[in-house]
Amino acid sequence: MGQQARMIEFSGVNKWFGPLHVLQDISLTVGKGEVVVVCGPSGSGKSTLIRCVNGLEPFEKGRLVVDGTDLSNRRALRALRMEVGFVFQSFNLYPHKTALENVTLAPIHVRGLSRAEAEARGRALLEKVGLGDRMGNYPHQLSGGQQQRVAIARSLCMQPKVMLFDEPTSALDPEMINEVLDVMVGLAREGMTMMVVTHEMGFARKVADRVIFMDHGAIVETAPPETFFTAPVHARTRDFLGKILHH
Amino acid sequence: MLGGLNTRVMLEYLPEIWQGFLSTLWLSAAGFLGAMALGVLACALAIQPLRWLRAPAVAYVDVIRATPLLAQLYFLYFGLPRLGIVLPEMLIGIIALSLNSGAYMAEIIRSGILSIPRGQVEAGMSTGLSYLQRMRLIVLPQALRATVSPVIGQTIVLVKDSSLLSLISVVELTRAGQRIAIDRFMPVEGLVATALGYLVLYYALKSAAGAWSARNALPGRG
Repeated sequence: MGQQARMIEFSGVNKWFGPLHVLQDISLTVGKGEVVVVCGPSGSGKSTLIRCVNGLEPFEKGRLVVDGTDLSNRRALRALRMEVGFVFQSFNLYPHKTALENVTLAPIHVRGLSRAEAEARGRALLEKVGLGDRMGNYPHQLSGGQQQRVAIARSLCMQPKVMLFDEPTSALDPEMINEVLDVMVGLAREGMTMMVVTHEMGFARKVADRVIFMDHGAIVETAPPETFFTAPVHARTRDFLGKILHH
Repeated sequence: MLGGLNTRVMLEYLPEIWQGFLSTLWLSAAGFLGAMALGVLACALAIQPLRWLRAPAVAYVDVIRATPLLAQLYFLYFGLPRLGIVLPEMLIGIIALSLNSGAYMAEIIRSGILSIPRGQVEAGMSTGLSYLQRMRLIVLPQALRATVSPVIGQTIVLVKDSSLLSLISVVELTRAGQRIAIDRFMPVEGLVATALGYLVLYYALKSAAGAWSARNALPGRG
């Protein structure tokens, strides 16, 4: 990765929840345009890791720089969040707003776009995620897969430089997983910088530049997908892969 | 018991009852406005992050909810003059009602706000919305919708609580009914006249609540 522009850079990041050491000396660099998949058993700290990237989780020790902004500068956080999209496991759409209103809310109120500009951008994005005919629907009128695609469009409508995904398909029925993954694969191929917490190893094989395995708050192994899946170095990685790939 | 109701006496006292009804109506309205103002303020203080601003709001809600309205009313009625503050009984009554219901309103509004899932707030944060924008665009529109029914419920309580003001010689519906009892020794006639007045106010508030929720159900649902 060397000379590539750095988008996300963790150096010696540590975080505790009370006595629990949830992130242990994380050092990790994600370059511009890179797609990094993070996996690991539940409780391994992977969600906490990406929640640190847009400041949803504070941390106690170490340094984290995203798009040139040091996360210890809480005043710069709002400006940074405009550039970093975040997609949640539970979608978190606003239930009192239509799909289109969900997507255009932040562009209008944060970016200062006119309603017409924001709606043009929002419509194009909802078309792109395959929901051109659902713009006027409220979240409860949409399936889980559709809601998650609206949530992705909502993040993209801010035209972010980085997209973070926290288990985006874990709350979905199996038949809806692919419609969401397809959108994410498209995004990766367009060159978006992405950090994705997921157990969808097919997705990792297809588009990840690197796969990271976390356990007990530490990064155990980092490798390109072909190496990661065929020749993992650590016993814990092999053990984990054995558990998730045989299902 | 009600068969032998002396309606002639009740009609004779109709002007007094009507005056008492209007008085209760406006005492309640003033108390409601005061309670909402205090409730919104106390709630805003209770949910913001600074501890030294939170503490007085929490103490206010606790003290009011732990003590009876009658005690609060007497405390103001006998206590304020000792501080050199002499106010008309009516104003003391409105202050007591506002302080009392304000604490309950604060709790109602707070639980409405807390009912909004944290994830929606995080989604707002993640797209760069400020605290006030998240409140105005995401949390409050949903929280207030959830709050209207309990607020109307508390207002119904407030209307009935205003009857206690008769004890500090404010003339309102209950006091007007007592006139029939005292002047004519007809307590049942007085109480029935009083009850009818409260019943009118109750049904007015109840139908307001019904009309509101029919018109403001979450779009597309129900």
